[in-house]
Amino acid sequence: MAAAGSAKVALRVAEVLETIVSCCVGPEGRQVLCTKPTGEVLISRDGGCLLEALHLEHPIARMMVACVSSHLRKTGDGAKTFIIFLCHLLRGLHAVTDKEQDSLISKNIQTHRRHWKNCCQWKFISQALLKFQTQVLDYIMGHYLSKHFLSIFSSSTKERTLCRSSLELLLEAYFCGRVGRNNQNFISQLMCDYFFKCMACESGCEEVFELVDDYFIELNVGVTGLPVSDSRIIAGLVLHRDFSVYCPADGDIRIVIVTETIQPPFSTSGSEFILNSEAQFRTSQFWIMERTKAIMKHLQSQNVKLLLSSVKQPDLVIYYAGLNGISVVECLSSEEVSLIQRVVGLSPFVLPHTSLRYEICNTALMNFCKPLILRSKRYVHLGLIGTCSFIPHCIVLCAPVQGLVEQHKSALHGAFKMLRQLFKDLDLNYMLQASDQNYASSLLTYKNSRESTPLPEIVNGSMQSPYQGTVVENKGKLATTQTYLKVYSNFVVPSIELETHIPRSIPKVTPTDTYQTDETLRYLSLAKTRIVDDSEPFMESNSANSTTENTRIEISYENLQVTEIAGRGSMLAVREKSLEMCTSHGYCFSSIPAGCVLPAGGNFEFLLHYYLLNYAKKCHQSEETMVSVIIANALLGIPKILYKSKKGNYSFPQIYVRTLHAIQTHQPMVSSQTGLESVASKYQLLTSVLQCLTKILTIDLVINIKRQPQEVYDQDSEEEV
Amino acid sequence: MSRLEAKKPSFCKSEPLTSERVRATLCVLKGILTSSYGPSGRLKQLHNGLGGCVCTTSQSSALLANLSVTHPILKILTTSMQNHVSCFSDCGLFTAILCCNLIENVQRIGLMPTTVIKLNKHLLSLCTSYLQSEFCGCRILVDFSSTQTLLCLVRSIVTSKPACMLTRQEIDHISALILRAFLLTIPENTKDCLILGKSIIVPLKGQRVTDSTVLPGILLEISEVQLMKILPIKKSDTFKVALFCASLSGDLSDTGEGTVVVSSGVSLENAVLDQLLNLGRQLVSDHIDLVICQKVVHPSLKQFLSMHRMIAIDRVGAALMEPLSKVTGTQPIGSLGSISPSSYGSVKDLCTEKFGFKHFLHLIPNEATICSLLLCNRNDTAWDELKLTCQTALHVLQLTIKEPSVLLGGGCTETHLAAYIRHKICNEPESILQDDGCTQTELQLLTEAFCSALESVAGSLEHDGGEILTDMKYGHFWSAQPESPSVVDWPDLLSRCGCGLYTSQEELRWSFLKSTRHPFAPQTCLPHEAVGSANNLTLDCFTAKLSGLQVAVETANLILDLSYIIEDKN
Repeated sequence: MAAAGSAKVALRVAEVLETIVSCCVGPEGRQVLCTKPTGEVLISRDGGCLLEALHLEHPIARMMVACVSSHLRKTGDGAKTFIIFLCHLLRGLHAVTDKEQDSLISKNIQTHRRHWKNCCQWKFISQALLKFQTQVLDYIMGHYLSKHFLSIFSSSTKERTLCRSSLELLLEAYFCGRVGRNNQNFISQLMCDYFFKCMACESGCEEVFELVDDYFIELNVGVTGLPVSDSRIIAGLVLHRDFSVYCPADGDIRIVIVTETIQPPFSTSGSEFILNSEAQFRTSQFWIMERTKAIMKHLQSQNVKLLLSSVKQPDLVIYYAGLNGISVVECLSSEEVSLIQRVVGLSPFVLPHTSLRYEICNTALMNFCKPLILRSKRYVHLGLIGTCSFIPHCIVLCAPVQGLVEQHKSALHGAFKMLRQLFKDLDLNYMLQASDQNYASSLLTYKNSRESTPLPEIVNGSMQSPYQGTVVENKGKLATTQTYLKVYSNFVVPSIELETHIPRSIPKVTPTDTYQTDETLRYLSLAKTRIVDDSEPFMESNSANSTTENTRIEISYENLQVTEIAGRGSMLAVREKSLEMCTSHGYCFSSIPAGCVLPAGGNFEFLLHYYLLNYAKKCHQSEETMVSVIIANALLGIPKILYKSKKGNYSFPQIYVRTLHAIQTHQPMVSSQTGLESVASKYQLLTSVLQCLTKILTIDLVINIKRQPQEVYDQDSEEEV
Repeated sequence: MSRLEAKKPSFCKSEPLTSERVRATLCVLKGILTSSYGPSGRLKQLHNGLGGCVCTTSQSSALLANLSVTHPILKILTTSMQNHVSCFSDCGLFTAILCCNLIENVQRIGLMPTTVIKLNKHLLSLCTSYLQSEFCGCRILVDFSSTQTLLCLVRSIVTSKPACMLTRQEIDHISALILRAFLLTIPENTKDCLILGKSIIVPLKGQRVTDSTVLPGILLEISEVQLMKILPIKKSDTFKVALFCASLSGDLSDTGEGTVVVSSGVSLENAVLDQLLNLGRQLVSDHIDLVICQKVVHPSLKQFLSMHRMIAIDRVGAALMEPLSKVTGTQPIGSLGSISPSSYGSVKDLCTEKFGFKHFLHLIPNEATICSLLLCNRNDTAWDELKLTCQTALHVLQLTIKEPSVLLGGGCTETHLAAYIRHKICNEPESILQDDGCTQTELQLLTEAFCSALESVAGSLEHDGGEILTDMKYGHFWSAQPESPSVVDWPDLLSRCGCGLYTSQEELRWSFLKSTRHPFAPQTCLPHEAVGSANNLTLDCFTAKLSGLQVAVETANLILDLSYIIEDKN
């Protein structure tokens, strides 16, 4: 079965997702209850979590979810906005193309031809979108929006100091979208306190973010059955287990970490221990005992009061530890061990093989070490003295149910991710430059990996499962288009400033470059058709377009596959060349420095909307105007939802009119919400959505295969065996 | 072979609370909970039709643990209550009923959930700050110089569990025992921080409740065969004790990751047994009287020890190890070789005792905070219920030591609090209206819903169809006999209010709890003499009730905030 993978279907899917997601957006958003097959009950307002929990079946929906989760991996925020924005874009496109269709396509064309015709139109739009993303968006961000950016750092001094009040505002806005409305303020205050308590000095804040993000699970304790307001921060580190033996100690407390059993074993792995007599057995046992005793005595003489072990220690060790006044905590997880190592700069204690004379150097000082009882469960509470810029603190998260604890945990973790993103790359002045290069390198690696796969296998794969084939094909197509446009992105943006139309010269440049790098003649011709096909949209003639499209369809899937690989190979060279050529070109026009924020509550959307409309008015190319207008209008979808429940002066039309007026007259914008949000994450979201949309639009056919997925896995498992 | 099945799409449902099915199930749950509430609550018999044990109870912990709910919303509610009970032991039914009432009342008035949540939070903070304030009219500071208040607290808890099947006299006996057991766990001389000991509940089923008793130290149950082996204990001042956590069964300890090759003719068993007997000889030379082992003791070693007039008790289990090491002052020994003399302990006296049909070895400590509560009841189910009750009471006493205040029970706190909130909102609504942007009407509607939810918790204490009233001075809870004649002579019909603090002989005016009445300011600042004179008050644990109130409102808020349910049916 094949179904048209048109934007219409995508719109239907996106609208369904939007209705679910939009109820959780913003400070007025509500909660969703997810039950797991294991009986767990999860409470969530996190878009990514909801989309995963739905287990969607529709291929386009699954693709959207995949796009969202890849975006989340990058930024950790914005899943709900992603869906809403995508839905509005699709809606806008749908409205525009409906109009165009009426005017362009006469009724007598056969229906299947009309379908392909539509597809070609979608592709054409998708290319315009990509062009917009790579050229126009950065330009507008850099040129117009940057005037409005605020910084999270207080700007009075030359050095960047983190301003507590602006961090509070930022966190407030973040938690508005993540936790239940009665806990928003409380959780954001908790997080803010936590951060400032953990930070030893201003300059070390990045290290703190990194450490907390990496070891978040170890740095908090969840307690159920208590009201949320009982959550608190405690100084020191809490380990999620009890002492094996506890000896109260004060004053100079030293700790050691061991990763093996202190009691020497009879035999180590790979060796053989031969027992010849009972006396031998007795003496070896005696030796083991004496040895253990000696080691523990030695530890005591070095003032060690706490032994942290990543393995279970035998009874004998525990006994002698108790006799020597050493507390023992066993079975630490590897994460806990590495956290302690990082915080206090302590490496594991290696058991000496010979004499016990010398001093143990791998010890660290500690303020206290005591049991902590939370809800009748005992934990180990360590007053570690941090040696890096992180002062150890733990968050105790209380809530009536486990689901709520989990929600707060993931929200806090997400907030640290977001901050880590916001503070990243201190020396980076030009955000765009970095992202551009990253993008290029990722593309390159993608290509390399594809190329390294032998060609016949791919063809086989596509023959075996046509469904897979289409996906690969589409991906490939996208990649080609992307590279194609990427090549010229650096040329074109400055050219816009000059108000000239370089795109006209593109078809001329491409073929020459391609021919240079192409190797086989067979591929050459195919690659040529492909490239001509790609460059079609730049010529503004629709009639010519349709004919080439029809020829393309006649090529079988396998052939297309080959074409694309060849095409890509050639493109790569072009890309590299052009990259070399324009590395020195105009980076100065766009920059999002670290720590850039805008007031929350739709300010970013309003601003971009306004400037895009302005840009569209000046624009000469019709498709560029169209795309800009569509995106500008789609951007309003988010503030529309935010102000949905507001009445009177704060209703959406009122706010809209007032804000636009404020921008026009260069006045500060009014916002009903206090709070800040990161510009970089908004920008990344926008580009992710546009990429997803182009991906959707380039699909022309969804082919449903009636084959069990398990067969593939069975093959795999047999191979493994 | 791995089988991978395609995941089924989840089941998604919007606005779950509006569905009729959810309302009906919530109503059923509420019915179960309210009918079990209080001293005259009805008992529930829980059994699965497959011949499992039958549980007769009216306690929230037992009820909620055994009920299997399927709807996610109910699951949230019940787990929330279970979590509360596992933290505080008490006030589980109060919390659950309040939560159900709140959800039901808020749904009836049909306000926007966002407004409801905001206002609920405000009302809750009004409640908590009032309860914690000095002028609170329903909180009593505990006077530790007398046991009066604590005894009232324990008695209220025992009385509120009708499934224990106790008579009035038995209630008094058990309450006194619980309080004694608790007092025995308090160390005599404390430094800066107080570390409480432990009361171990020892089961003795089939005896009369009044046979229950409290003993200092630990009771170790021994079989009759063991008893025969124990020779008459010689009198002495102290008995030296060795406590082993390592196994004395002669099994070979872990030999490491490599291989151990044993030549023929070498018997490791003999070697290990030799080692054990050496250990025995060391114990003899150290003059040990009692050897206790967590795990198994080898029969030969046992034989050897009893030959040398030592008592050996094995398999005591991990749970008893900590109290044992506290009672005897020993350090659990994990070595079969040289034992440091410092790890031996001692007890003051050692004797065998017989309670009912069971024999015990009684370890009487010199000075320790461990005691044994020998608990008797007629049958299994009643004993289980009594045990839970004792645990609850002991836990509540611990909580009361931490936070030395108690709340008036018997529904008086609830009605008093409702009256206070009504009055407060009626007179000074500005504080809330200011920062929230909701209307006066919305606030009044929600306050009414909140207060009536509180009041109907108090109302659920009455199960026999009697009239429930509140007075217009203190805002306390009163209940009258059912089928009372005309409503004229209230002072004669009513005797005391729910908590027992006030009598009807004062000049009071009453009003039906369900009727609408003009908001009045309940008298705050509990007079000291009133508390001192009344000796039979019904009291509630302060910490548990305060947290229960918060948890109930938070859970209700959470449930009201749900807009979708996504059920993963894989």
